[in-house]
Amino acid sequence: MQEYDIVIGLEVHSELKTNSKVFCSCKNQFGQAPNTNCCPVCVGLPGALPVLNKKAVELVIKAGLTMGCQINDLAVFERKNYFYPDLAKAYQISQLVRPICLGGQIELEDKVVRLNRIHLEEDAGKLVHCSAAIGTLIDYNRGGVPLMELVTEPDISSADEAVEFLTRLRQRLIYAGVAECKMEQGGLRCDVNVSVKKKGSKELGQRTEMKNLNSFKSVYRAINYEANRQIEILENGGTVVQETRKWDDNHSRSVSMRKKETSSDYRYFPDPDMLAVEIPREDVERIRKTLPLMPDQLRKRYVEEYGLSDYESEILTREKALSDYFNEVLSFYNNPKEVTNWILTEILNKVKDLSEEIAISPSDLAKLLKLVEDKKVTRTNAKEMLARIMENGEKLEALEKEYAGSVDGDALRALVETIVKNNPNAVEDYRTSDTPEKVFRWFTGQVMKETRGKANAVKAEEFIRELLK
Amino acid sequence: MDIGKLSLIELAKAISEQKLTSYEVTKYYIERCQEKSDLNALLEIFDDSLDRASEMDEKIKGGFKGKLAGVPVIIKDNILYKGKKASCSSRFLENYVAQYNSTVVQKMLDEGAIIIARANMDEFAMGSSTENSAYGVTKNALDPSRVPGGSSGGSACAVAAGLAPVALGTDTGGSIRQPCSYNGVVGIKPTYGRVSRYGVVAFASSIEQVGPITKNVKDNAYMLSVLAGGSIHDDTSLKVEVPDYLSYIKGDIKGLKVGVLKEIEEAVKGLEVEKSYKEAVKFLKDNGAEIVEVSIPDFKLTLPCYYIIAPAEATSNLGRFDGVKYSRRSAEAKDVDEIYVKSRSEGFGKEVKRRIMLGNFVLSSGYFDAYYNKAKKLQQKLIAESKKAFENCDVLVLPTTAGEAFKIGAKGGDPVEMYKEDLFTIMANILGTPALSLPFGKGESGLPLGLQIVADRLNEGLIYNVADFIENNGGDYARV
Amino acid sequence: MSKTKISIEEVKRLAGLSALEFSEEELSAFIPEFEAMLELVDEVKNCDTGEAQLNYTTHLLSECREDEAKESFPQEEILLNSPKTKKGSFCVPKMLD
Repeated sequence: MQEYDIVIGLEVHSELKTNSKVFCSCKNQFGQAPNTNCCPVCVGLPGALPVLNKKAVELVIKAGLTMGCQINDLAVFERKNYFYPDLAKAYQISQLVRPICLGGQIELEDKVVRLNRIHLEEDAGKLVHCSAAIGTLIDYNRGGVPLMELVTEPDISSADEAVEFLTRLRQRLIYAGVAECKMEQGGLRCDVNVSVKKKGSKELGQRTEMKNLNSFKSVYRAINYEANRQIEILENGGTVVQETRKWDDNHSRSVSMRKKETSSDYRYFPDPDMLAVEIPREDVERIRKTLPLMPDQLRKRYVEEYGLSDYESEILTREKALSDYFNEVLSFYNNPKEVTNWILTEILNKVKDLSEEIAISPSDLAKLLKLVEDKKVTRTNAKEMLARIMENGEKLEALEKEYAGSVDGDALRALVETIVKNNPNAVEDYRTSDTPEKVFRWFTGQVMKETRGKANAVKAEEFIRELLK
Repeated sequence: MDIGKLSLIELAKAISEQKLTSYEVTKYYIERCQEKSDLNALLEIFDDSLDRASEMDEKIKGGFKGKLAGVPVIIKDNILYKGKKASCSSRFLENYVAQYNSTVVQKMLDEGAIIIARANMDEFAMGSSTENSAYGVTKNALDPSRVPGGSSGGSACAVAAGLAPVALGTDTGGSIRQPCSYNGVVGIKPTYGRVSRYGVVAFASSIEQVGPITKNVKDNAYMLSVLAGGSIHDDTSLKVEVPDYLSYIKGDIKGLKVGVLKEIEEAVKGLEVEKSYKEAVKFLKDNGAEIVEVSIPDFKLTLPCYYIIAPAEATSNLGRFDGVKYSRRSAEAKDVDEIYVKSRSEGFGKEVKRRIMLGNFVLSSGYFDAYYNKAKKLQQKLIAESKKAFENCDVLVLPTTAGEAFKIGAKGGDPVEMYKEDLFTIMANILGTPALSLPFGKGESGLPLGLQIVADRLNEGLIYNVADFIENNGGDYARV
Repeated sequence: MSKTKISIEEVKRLAGLSALEFSEEELSAFIPEFEAMLELVDEVKNCDTGEAQLNYTTHLLSECREDEAKESFPQEEILLNSPKTKKGSFCVPKMLD
């Protein structure tokens, strides 16, 4: 294994976050009854014509700008011709000669992966393979959903790097509002090209391609399997055949496609139903202005302006949903350190993954932290309240009434008097001790214990000091 | 009133003024359609036509105004009219029922038209005689032993035979103009993009247009004003204002610069049309037009250029007819690959298959640059040449066809001979310019010949003015 | 000029791309016709296009359709002409994926 370099190139497809499809006004929406988000364009009815969605082009430009791509001033759409039942028109509208974006790069921890291009195309319909009696069912709801295809240069040299690349790409697309990348819905799919060569050799090996991997785990396993398979072939004196292989996730292996691709002659030519799109500089600059901060920029801000650690800022920016949440809490309660502590220690242990919606609203979390700061509730009680909100869906207002300062005024004073009266030794300790604060805290603890945390903490401390004098 | 003698404009006026009802007009034309069924111009007369006419009469009484209120119209069988069959004269689409209205149909319905029938054509508009129809050849309206031309042969025959005051055709390489010439009627291929193609079954998307076929020039201008205009469903449709084309008709051509192509002078030598063509030029000159000799040096290459671009687009456009989603699926097919191959092989006629094969040849790897890209470059060169020509003239005149309509079966054996039918018409499709054909002169058997007027893009108005002048002042030449 | 020739293998390749099948009889009739067509289009292959460049008809990004979703067609209208449907879907014999 050590004597070989692995050379990996990725082709990543992401469904773009638009309201309507790329060539018609049907909804871009997942999970509907089959063939209900369809019109003549989606099903390739005779006479139907594609009408390009501006937003789809703008999102690809936006994606390109986050990765330093050059934006072509003229984008051309071509037809890629082949027969397949998920392809209603027997051609896919895609881009070959003049894609929207050229070049660009994504920086990984230890290297830079260059991009070849990003282009816009349409997604295909969905095939559902049922029993032989029923057959294969075709649903064109997904047909025409805008898809960006990003193609890397073969700069990736391990499965780990591939996953790191995909993680960063996914992060950027989500941050930029370009795509939601819902893997489980096929919102991000990856074709992997793998070849191996003798370490240091300039000569590239024969590559194989595995299409439509839809989880990072599959990508990781597929690359390792395929690299090992190729190395084994070479070690045994064989040659690797250039082919498309299918990754079988259930058995963790790649298999040669049973049926060879009948033709890779796609007969691309400019779609005569479409006009090429001129993209003036002003439009690119206008789109650039709408770019939100990217995760690396946010991380920098968290460290430099908020004084967070690298670790903290890395976690907070890993998912856009989380950094959005963090930023919003700050807009109500501007104490980054405190908010970070709560999120990292109390909130994230209650969610399954970082992109999940957090079950306490940013404004409620801010209110809760304010209650702690104002000593209306103790930290311990605040944690309890947080758990009850996030786990049982209880309301902050109700809990506040229950916890904060419900024992107050004369009743509280009476309680403190009783405690002081019943603990003469402690009172003596307080007056003679080198560390009276410790004894003082023992008294506040007693008050909280007696009231099960529901005493007005500020008042309680006031009374204790007064009565201990 | 003799309904059959009224022009489209007169008819529309009489109905809107309630001097005639749509019902009686529609009934008259449907009876004509039935009487003349031996022409095989029509594939279907829509059985709800009279009901629609009655409804329209009620609407007109209620104050409805529309340019085509109550007027019967026939459409070519590749234009979608929701709820009605549209077969493109193909076995493949034998039972295809349109699921939506084409833009042109919608525009006509909005103006109150009664669409009464669909007309025969060459399968998928590929052909010049309607002999490629899966439903039998249409006969020439003036001589039933001859072809009506094509591909809009059914539409042109229908208008010539008085089956409707107007019919729609489509023109990819001459498919409106050539049959108009053969049947002695008027037809225009508008500027590319002037009329939306949405809902028109595509053959060669980048060069084809829908256009009206009428008995006279003014009717044609009137009708184009209805059909023209950009569509939100068609990015290639031009989003420019639609003029009232009738307003361009002045009854005068003094000072008009009429271009005569050097290459045409050459090409017509010895052809049946030569004499009429020369008479036409002389006629224009005698009536005050300035005749200018201009040149499009690569004119002769328009034909081969077309036979690369059109089949390339057709092969891709016809891919959707795969037996999976609609219409024909071969009963023999056991798996998906067989569905494709058998449905298509059974459903398409010979000429369609030939063009699909040719299209795949010029697009396939290794040939793409030499053929397809070369043809696209040649198209640019031709456009540049035409621009230069139009710097020196307002319109070009050229023949529509080499001669009069030929006998059914006369060109059966040789596809390339048939292709040459479009020698004079294809130029306008390659250039994207408007071109109209109107009757001018007679052939050896006394059948009409056609004269084409071509102008630069969006200059339909200029064309209509010249054509109307010829029609009204051309005497015997312009009489069919 | 020598006549453009095309081999039977080439014709079969094109038939594959076209999803068409021809009987041997059809093929033998087809080849000379196809060669005549190629002879015609070879005039373009052999012509001089000088300085002419590929050109695209264009529109501005700002002229493209706004991203507004509209109602789709009812499922039954979409499936109207389908030769075979099941469970609201178009249906073909079971494919090996």
